[in-house]
Amino acid sequence: MQSGVPIPIPPLFYAFAALATLYFAYNLRRAAAARIGRPDSRAIDWWALIPNAITYGIAQRKVTSFKFGYASVMHLLMAWGFMELFFATSVDFFVERGWFAVWLPAKDTPWFAAANEVGGLALGIGVAMALWRRLPRNKPALLPNDAFSGRGSLLGDVGILLVLLLLAMGGFMTEAARLAIEQPENAAASFVAFSLVGLLSLEMWHSLQPALWWSHAALALTLIALLPQTKLFHALLAIVNAALTNHAEMGQLRPMHITKMMSDPEADLDSLVLGAGQVQDLTWKQLLDAQTCTECARCTSVCPAHAVGSPLSPMKIMQVIRKQLYDQTMGGKEAAELIGANAITAEELWACTTCGACAQECPVMIDHIPAIVDMRRFLVLSEGAPPEAAASSLEKTAQHGNPWGFAHETRLDWAADMDPPVPLMAQKQDVDILYWVGCAGSFDPRNQSVTRAMITILEAAGVDYAILGKEEKCTGDAARRIGEENVYETLAHDNIATLDRYRFKRIVTACPHCMQTIGRDYAQLGGQYEVVHHSAFIEELLEAGKLTPSQTVDGKVTFHDPCYLGRHNDQYDAPRAVIARTAGQDAMVEMELSRGESFCCGAGGGNMWYETKSDERVNLARFDQAIETGAETVATACSFCLIMMDDAVKVRGKEGAVAVKDIAELVAEGLTRDG
Amino acid sequence: MKQIPDPASALHIRADELWIDESNLVYSANESDTYALEEALLLKEAHGGEVVVVTVGSARTTQMLKDALAKGAGRAIRVALEGDGDLDSNGMAHLLAAALREEAFDLILTGLQSDDAGHGQLGPMLAELLDLPHVTLVVATDIEAASIKVKQELEGGWFQNVTLTLPALLTIQSGINKPRYASLKGIMAMKSKKIRDVQPAGLGIDPQQLAPLQTVKRIYLPIKSKETVFLEGSPAEVAAQLVDKLTNEAKVL
Repeated sequence: MQSGVPIPIPPLFYAFAALATLYFAYNLRRAAAARIGRPDSRAIDWWALIPNAITYGIAQRKVTSFKFGYASVMHLLMAWGFMELFFATSVDFFVERGWFAVWLPAKDTPWFAAANEVGGLALGIGVAMALWRRLPRNKPALLPNDAFSGRGSLLGDVGILLVLLLLAMGGFMTEAARLAIEQPENAAASFVAFSLVGLLSLEMWHSLQPALWWSHAALALTLIALLPQTKLFHALLAIVNAALTNHAEMGQLRPMHITKMMSDPEADLDSLVLGAGQVQDLTWKQLLDAQTCTECARCTSVCPAHAVGSPLSPMKIMQVIRKQLYDQTMGGKEAAELIGANAITAEELWACTTCGACAQECPVMIDHIPAIVDMRRFLVLSEGAPPEAAASSLEKTAQHGNPWGFAHETRLDWAADMDPPVPLMAQKQDVDILYWVGCAGSFDPRNQSVTRAMITILEAAGVDYAILGKEEKCTGDAARRIGEENVYETLAHDNIATLDRYRFKRIVTACPHCMQTIGRDYAQLGGQYEVVHHSAFIEELLEAGKLTPSQTVDGKVTFHDPCYLGRHNDQYDAPRAVIARTAGQDAMVEMELSRGESFCCGAGGGNMWYETKSDERVNLARFDQAIETGAETVATACSFCLIMMDDAVKVRGKEGAVAVKDIAELVAEGLTRDG
Repeated sequence: MKQIPDPASALHIRADELWIDESNLVYSANESDTYALEEALLLKEAHGGEVVVVTVGSARTTQMLKDALAKGAGRAIRVALEGDGDLDSNGMAHLLAAALREEAFDLILTGLQSDDAGHGQLGPMLAELLDLPHVTLVVATDIEAASIKVKQELEGGWFQNVTLTLPALLTIQSGINKPRYASLKGIMAMKSKKIRDVQPAGLGIDPQQLAPLQTVKRIYLPIKSKETVFLEGSPAEVAAQLVDKLTNEAKVL
């Protein structure tokens, strides 16, 4: 072969390329493994299908994160480098045959050649960054590393990274050989490969070229053919999973309609599966979530339960689901038990506070909580095995209508000495605002003070309101998230029937868990209500000039974002606005983990009612973060957060030094000072 | 099993001061009875057989019986009675003995005592009427062919092991096991299980035997008599004062 003569692409290559593509297409059947799952109650948002696929799948909006800066840059370099090279190589092979040549840039078009060099460099640098993190001495960055993880191992992601590195280097070498032999006019545009040309003599390039070319081609085609069997499959699945995600329904639990099922004489109760004990009991979307997991461990690194040393790792849960799914659908194995010593342990499932940090952080739209709750449902409804303390609380909830087990008769005792008497719905029938007191607000001494503060506020602002009094029962939030859907539904149906007897415009509550349950969960059972959190309602009253509290807080204030107010319902500004009105503009100091990144108090998801093993309690970890800001007042806006922070003050011996307040108390104190 | 006012209930004394006001009360299963039920279920699971739950009471005991059936009891027998306040342990033992004579049981388990009346007499009385060996305050059981070895709690941290031939009766101490939570599967299975009501009239009992052997004169809240006195002075003076008080006031030395 003489220099300056173009090297044709061997026709045999096209045959191999066709074979590789066919095998790739055959391998794509793995994506359909998720079809063994149940139907999912979260409707597909068809209008968002394409935008979701582009924004979150291809453009990887959630991959980019300041918190995970190194990994974000690493991934963007690899992903965009890979995509660019895939595009460029395809173009080359089309143009060579004259396919679509009118629209495609010819080989050695300077900008195209330079772009391909950038693509190769990006991939190479990204891969090098990824390999660097996986060096044994840097491995802590990749924790957790468990039996189900391929993280940092040669047969797992390290192998794939080495293949990608070989591809990038092989590409440059093959290109250098071509430049040396063809000596095209714009050779310098291929700036990396061009700089390599001088390394070897022309004869050497001539003799090496076929081997370089074919080895590069073989590696690339093999990778394409096997891609769905490797970790790189996430690149395709992430696009599909993002497209099929209904963002409005993230975190929403699947309705089971147990009451309906039990009253249906036709129902086949014997073969009924309650909750998820095996992979096929999860929904197809939950299975697709697990398939899509890339083991980046962002979920686990922000998980508050994991942070305090409990055994929970949301990532591991996805890995186990995926392994069992592929074993069963691709490996011809029998269905295995999802919950057990060599799979997901009950302790892991119970440690979850359903705070939602994992799903918020996940770059590929995995929704961990509904899957975890479906497995809890299996433990509770099928096995009768909730945590011991939770069992007692669930029985009390069913019997007395509150999880503490106080006598229902005493639900209104807090209001006995209220002057004027607190108006009841039974007397007023029709009001603007139904104030939902909640179990904590009715029975827990600390939260009774919040209820009294709310009554002071409602009276001072002249709101037309009433409460349900003894007609109110627990919303069933904790029961539902523990997995006791039967107790939840019974309470929900009772409460819906009670609420539907009266006329009111809106429901206001100081508890974000009550807000979530009545406002969003009850809709699944036919109860449609507009529920406003007291922070938004108080802000509304302040804005309208109906309340003029004096400043009640001296010193710095920090705000602990409740998970079910913030992450689950996207409300961050109202409580801060209320604090600003009672504490002055500069008093607010934010914790490092605030707003969407807030760290759970430890009580959500039913954790208020049982203990799990960990090195430290979640509420103490969070309280320490709060006092690190130098704040003398820790404000919050949730019944459980208040109990948890109040407990932490005592354990840490900060009584007197740090005050824990609900935002309603801050406002009400300012009103009473005015007289 | 016996249904009693739930310990969390707000209790009010009835105007005649002979019993508590039963309106607005929530009822639940007597605590030690739930341990007896669990022990029965564990024995059934280990050795086979059937668990039959038996109570004396009104229609409101249905919830308690359903819970027991949901947890794994096979069927339920209720000696139907409107309110049980007039029956003492003796009357109740006679009713239960009459109802149980037609059952081919190997073992009767009861709770140690009811948390409302607190007599702790029903088990031994029932055993005597049925001519069965019995042990009270059982904290562990172990069945060996036709006999059962049990560990009985004595006073002062002492225990004794007793072996009884079956059939026998045991009264179970709270804490012997961990009562289970009723799964929804169990609740569904419960729907096809039967609660059989037995009418006392059909048991052929002489009404004389049901007449109370004891009567309640008056019930009242415990009178608070706790008094705290702080002794002051040097350790030696405080010790001297304490000895004086223990000798002359408390009269224990």
